[in-house]
Amino acid sequence: MPNASRPSSTAASSPPAAGIAHLCGLLDRVAQKDRQAFADLYDATSAKLYGAVLRILRDRGSADDVLQEAYVKIWRQAAVFDAGRASPITWMVTIARHLAIDELRRQPKGYREPEEALAQAPDEGPSAQDELHQEQDAQRLYRCLDTLEDGRQDMVRLAYLEGWSRSDLATHFDQPVNTVKTWLHRALKQLKGCLAS
Amino acid sequence: MTQHDDLDMLAAEYALGTLDADTRADVARRRQQEPELEALIQAWEARLAPLGDEAVAVAPGPELKERIEQRIRAIEAEAQEAQAKQNAAQKETRASDHPQVATLQRRLVRWQWSTGLATAAALVLAIILAGPLNKAPSDPSFVAVFQEDDRQPAFMLSVDLSNKQLNVLPVSAEPLANKSYQLWIKEDSLGPNPRSVGVLNDDLSLDAGALSDYDPALLKRATFGISIEPSGGSPTGQPTGPAIHGYLYPTGQAGAQRL
Repeated sequence: MPNASRPSSTAASSPPAAGIAHLCGLLDRVAQKDRQAFADLYDATSAKLYGAVLRILRDRGSADDVLQEAYVKIWRQAAVFDAGRASPITWMVTIARHLAIDELRRQPKGYREPEEALAQAPDEGPSAQDELHQEQDAQRLYRCLDTLEDGRQDMVRLAYLEGWSRSDLATHFDQPVNTVKTWLHRALKQLKGCLAS
Repeated sequence: MTQHDDLDMLAAEYALGTLDADTRADVARRRQQEPELEALIQAWEARLAPLGDEAVAVAPGPELKERIEQRIRAIEAEAQEAQAKQNAAQKETRASDHPQVATLQRRLVRWQWSTGLATAAALVLAIILAGPLNKAPSDPSFVAVFQEDDRQPAFMLSVDLSNKQLNVLPVSAEPLANKSYQLWIKEDSLGPNPRSVGVLNDDLSLDAGALSDYDPALLKRATFGISIEPSGGSPTGQPTGPAIHGYLYPTGQAGAQRL
């Protein structure tokens, strides 16, 4: 007689590779120059970092160079990582993001297509994060972003995700750079206040 | 707008990424020396971090991993070579002053604790866990020397494990205007973060009993570090300025090396 029950589909399908504790453990070992831990850390995080870098640079050649620079920096600075201050993935993405933005500033200005940029927008959400408090942080940030005036949320997202400078934003929003600066400062202060409330 | 607001907005725009290349380079330099700016930047990175989840993950090409691992191997090889040279040079210059240090220099490790190490303020710290302090320790049981750049140690720290008395000895370090040196200890059983041992006095001394609450076995496993902090010590309870740290190594048992 055939067994009617189906095999359970709840088997662990997502490896715990991105778990905060797991990454902290790997970084700890990387700080002691453990190359196997470094390889594991790369496997667990490189797609996330590469995605962030590629979105800013939009060119695999320079994204490859920046990713290499980022992992060399992570190798050298793993001992600096402070789990009390940032999640491991935030720390690593931050390193990669800043290197990508620095590289972008060095490159000659190319034509940036804002519609395309914004079209790639949210929908993914914080689903990749398995830690509850991170999801709560994300919800709070998005709630606060929603309180910003029209267009200001786009400015913040274009800057953070695409690496747009004040002058890139000024061109796109057809405003003087100083106006953009004022808008940015107002938006950032509003965000800070909202997040603190 | 207050000065603090200006600094906070500079930190915010740095984290957001809207500054031009020159200003970014300037902030990247300043954050190494200004704990307040560093703390503000970190706060903004944390606030904005959830935005990063909007970027879709993209797997890099498979050859990139090998390229990066090769680069890491090359960096480690270079570091070892530089270390060997430095050890050789030091053996000559310092052997007469600190024979117990010289004999152990092949066990030197460089270890970074802080992004600030590239700055001129980077510290060099030598740690010696030894027998009684007032005699020259002829057979020290635990010794470690930590250095950054090709400079002489800024401090030597010796700890007598039998009575847990410590002695901080400035070698090339000098008091800094409006800054304090702070000694830290880090060990797994104390949690993930360094714990303050104490802020050095103006004459760079430290209370000899500052480690008396710690178990000798823990001291052997622990990492020590000295960082440069605002006057009076770190405002956050964690190292905020340039620092250097490292493990201690038993001198007698080759198998116990942690290199």
